[in-house]
Amino acid sequence: MNVTGRQRFGFSAYAGLVLLIFYFPVFCITAASLSKKRYFSFPFPASDLTLKWYHDALVSPQVSQYVGVSLRVALLTTVLSVIIGFFGALAYARYAWRGRRAFQRLVLLPLFFPQSVLGLALLMWFNFLDITPSWITAVLAHTVWIAPITTLIMSIQAYSFDNSLEEAARDMGATNGQILRWITIPLLTPGMVSAGCFAILLSWGNFALSLFTTGADSTLPEWLYARMTSGYQPIIPAVGTLSVLLAIALVFLVVGILSLRRRNAAKPAASTP
Amino acid sequence: MNTLFQNRTEPEEGEHAVIEEPHAGGDSARGIHVFARLRRRMQTCSAAAGEDGQHGHGMLCALPFGVLMLFGFIVPLLCVIAFGLMPSHTFSLLHHMPTLENYRVIFTQSYVFSMMKSTVLAILTVFLLLLICYPLAFALAKVFRGGATFVTYAIASSLFVSENIRLFGWVIGLMKGGVLGGLLAKMGLPVDSFLYNVPVILVGMVYVYLPFMLFPLALGLQMVPQEVREAAYDMGANRWQVFRMIDLPLSLPGIMIGSILVFVLSIGALAEAKILGGQKIVTIAAEIETAFTFGQNWPLGSALATLLIALTMVLVFGALKKVDFESLLGRKAEGQS
Amino acid sequence: MGIPSVIVDRSTRLSGGPAQTILEVAGVTKQFGSFTAVKKVSFRIREGEFFTLVGPSGSGKTTLLRMLVGMEPPTDGDILLRDKRINDLPPNRRPTCLVFQSLALFPHMTVGQNIEFPMKVRNIPPDDRHTRADELLRILHLDPAVYYNKSVLKCSGGERQRVALARALAYDPEILFFDEPLSAIDARLRKMLQKELKDIQRNTGKTFCYVTHSLEEAMVMSDRLAILRSGAVEQIGTPAEIYASPCNAFVAEFMGEVNLLDVVGVKGGGAEWQFKVYREPIRLSEPFMAGIQRKLLVRPESIRFLNDGDTADNRFQVKVKNEFLLGSRKQYHVEGLGGFKLIVECSSDHTITGPAATIGWDVKDSQILES
Repeated sequence: MNVTGRQRFGFSAYAGLVLLIFYFPVFCITAASLSKKRYFSFPFPASDLTLKWYHDALVSPQVSQYVGVSLRVALLTTVLSVIIGFFGALAYARYAWRGRRAFQRLVLLPLFFPQSVLGLALLMWFNFLDITPSWITAVLAHTVWIAPITTLIMSIQAYSFDNSLEEAARDMGATNGQILRWITIPLLTPGMVSAGCFAILLSWGNFALSLFTTGADSTLPEWLYARMTSGYQPIIPAVGTLSVLLAIALVFLVVGILSLRRRNAAKPAASTP
Repeated sequence: MNTLFQNRTEPEEGEHAVIEEPHAGGDSARGIHVFARLRRRMQTCSAAAGEDGQHGHGMLCALPFGVLMLFGFIVPLLCVIAFGLMPSHTFSLLHHMPTLENYRVIFTQSYVFSMMKSTVLAILTVFLLLLICYPLAFALAKVFRGGATFVTYAIASSLFVSENIRLFGWVIGLMKGGVLGGLLAKMGLPVDSFLYNVPVILVGMVYVYLPFMLFPLALGLQMVPQEVREAAYDMGANRWQVFRMIDLPLSLPGIMIGSILVFVLSIGALAEAKILGGQKIVTIAAEIETAFTFGQNWPLGSALATLLIALTMVLVFGALKKVDFESLLGRKAEGQS
Repeated sequence: MGIPSVIVDRSTRLSGGPAQTILEVAGVTKQFGSFTAVKKVSFRIREGEFFTLVGPSGSGKTTLLRMLVGMEPPTDGDILLRDKRINDLPPNRRPTCLVFQSLALFPHMTVGQNIEFPMKVRNIPPDDRHTRADELLRILHLDPAVYYNKSVLKCSGGERQRVALARALAYDPEILFFDEPLSAIDARLRKMLQKELKDIQRNTGKTFCYVTHSLEEAMVMSDRLAILRSGAVEQIGTPAEIYASPCNAFVAEFMGEVNLLDVVGVKGGGAEWQFKVYREPIRLSEPFMAGIQRKLLVRPESIRFLNDGDTADNRFQVKVKNEFLLGSRKQYHVEGLGGFKLIVECSSDHTITGPAATIGWDVKDSQILES
């Protein structure tokens, strides 16, 4: 039955309210990052507006260091998760094999799991193996949690994969490697890109796992947490906002690259591999 | 648990028409033998596009993930469980005899209360989120057309912002002189800080885990075929009857997934209580962290963690056995335009 | 056991006065933005009849159906049930019931629960519901002992159709609407279900309004039918009427393989006007003005092969291009000297002696149509 106009308005109002409350903290952070005063108070006069804290954040060597760590972890995690997730998605959705059901449950397991406990478990495991935790161990921790997500995202695409395309290619003499390179991977590329986006962002913003597994290195969220729990400092909201902006920029970058590739792929149809 | 993987990663005996090579003695020869068998099996797989090929390909593709899970998930968890059985204040697994003293400590001291408090918090979070998200999920799945994408992106994008930052936003909003406090003070209603109590922690948890309830609910509601709802109306049912007899039972998988996901994530929540609640409420995850850092008592922390793991596993395996994920994801893929 | 309460004694109805109009559709229009799906459609459905809306895909029949049951509001026009305007009545308050193309059975309920749903919604006590559900299952040839507790997901296509019908009958509506329910069923089962549907309609005396894209189905089952094209009604009538006199070329073509020839009025010699078919003169029943273009309808079965000495109003020399055996009939594709193509149907024991032949038909077997 169609929803009446009045009902639709009610739903829209409710959604609007939820979104408003949802973005309230974001607004607060942005407001705090722009206030000149050492101790934040609201409302503040327009004369207090400043970009000082952003400047401080951008030139601070400390912040750059942590950004570097976070970026390294995020990039490496993404590469690993997407590769593992690619094959995992094929196993999840594409091939009908005997262990598939159990495999599907296995994929979901790390998602339905408290991250702090996972971080802890990994810390103990590294200790047992006499491995000192560093940003590399954090990569492993992030991958364990993010690989299931990339697998699921690419599985959704793999489900609509048309098997007969691969069979037709094989029928025309292509080897397994060729099929993988020219058929399977290109068709699943959109899924790979979205999975990659998810992976970068989830790793970039992750806190619970990083807390336990980075050891001496620290990611940006860890640094923020340490600062937050030791009293208010105006640089925190600035760094926080910058972090968010960087994440958005990363997304646009990746999406931009993808659409460029697609546009280029469409043009020279004659010069196929 | 190890046997689970043993069966999956080794090629299975006697199922395919593979010519056996005569056994040479020794481990390395056996290793090569196994590898050769695997390789020949792959070749027969590529030749036959039938069921055998599927099985071989499937297992091979699952291998990287399986190895990752084995060494990055299963074994570490076993490690924790094992450590929980070590005598307190020790740091090594191999030098001591197993003991249950940690569990005794947990159940006779205040840790059990922390556990209960965290569990209650988690359950409250689930209930509140069910109430808050169901109407919104319903709107996303059935009511909004173009707006659904916008709302989805708006809420999903929050997942990419570190939860610390968002929680800190609440601190700024709710602290004394903060956005809310300052506004109210300006209007002549001076209020103290809203922070550092139990309700605000709940607000934080509801806030952080909202997407994890909303999207499964929306997915579950999407699975209710529109024509089935129309048929119910056509046969005289009013809105409440349709909700009770059609929407609710058919979206149950989504409700279950959302609830379990939120519960499991909330019970391991660390940041909310610390950032918003100060020292007021110590969650079980914080207790665990303390045991590992200040308390220098790894076995105790591990025992606590083991309890959480057990709780999680019971819920996940017990309740999710009934939910068919393949149909959920497969249907979603078909439904996308 | 007595007669189940659902069966109505038809004898009184047949001997009574002319059937009442139960549903009147008056100038109903539906617009989606700039696209008009239904254009000022008007017709009446009589009580107790099997009425069908036929048309190709995109003719607006599903949209029209949804307006009649209340799931879409009409942009303009009125829908009257027993002379009462029901445009604003929502589907759960309209005494109509729709059997969807997908059947829309409740997947989480058993057969019995599905059928009882309309009664449960009306708070009818469980025992009465159960009795009625058993009754309906038996009417639809499903053994209650086997089917009552069966999950609908485990039922076959034909069984699900019957459950959907039983559920609709349990609602006891004034009119039952059907949206192409048999289109996804294989041919053999379809024929069987068509017959069953017709039988149930006759036995229960309920008004059925059926939508389909298959004219053959409509002809077999309907008391009256309306043909739709691009949102407008082309013709309404009984199957026999429409078959005998299609009102235009579209209706004629929609009915299957017929011969439609372009003809042009030409001043002829003598007292009769004559027509030219691809520059061949042709005889027709009516005089026409010169230069007027029409379509000529000749049914394949009305054309016959002529031997020497046979007469026909129109004779043509043709070349036989193709021969097809269709069960009890044979079909020939022939081409005339002027280039026009015809399909000729005869009984299967007919043989031709060579590629050249003479065919002909009588004026009374042909018809002039507008396109």
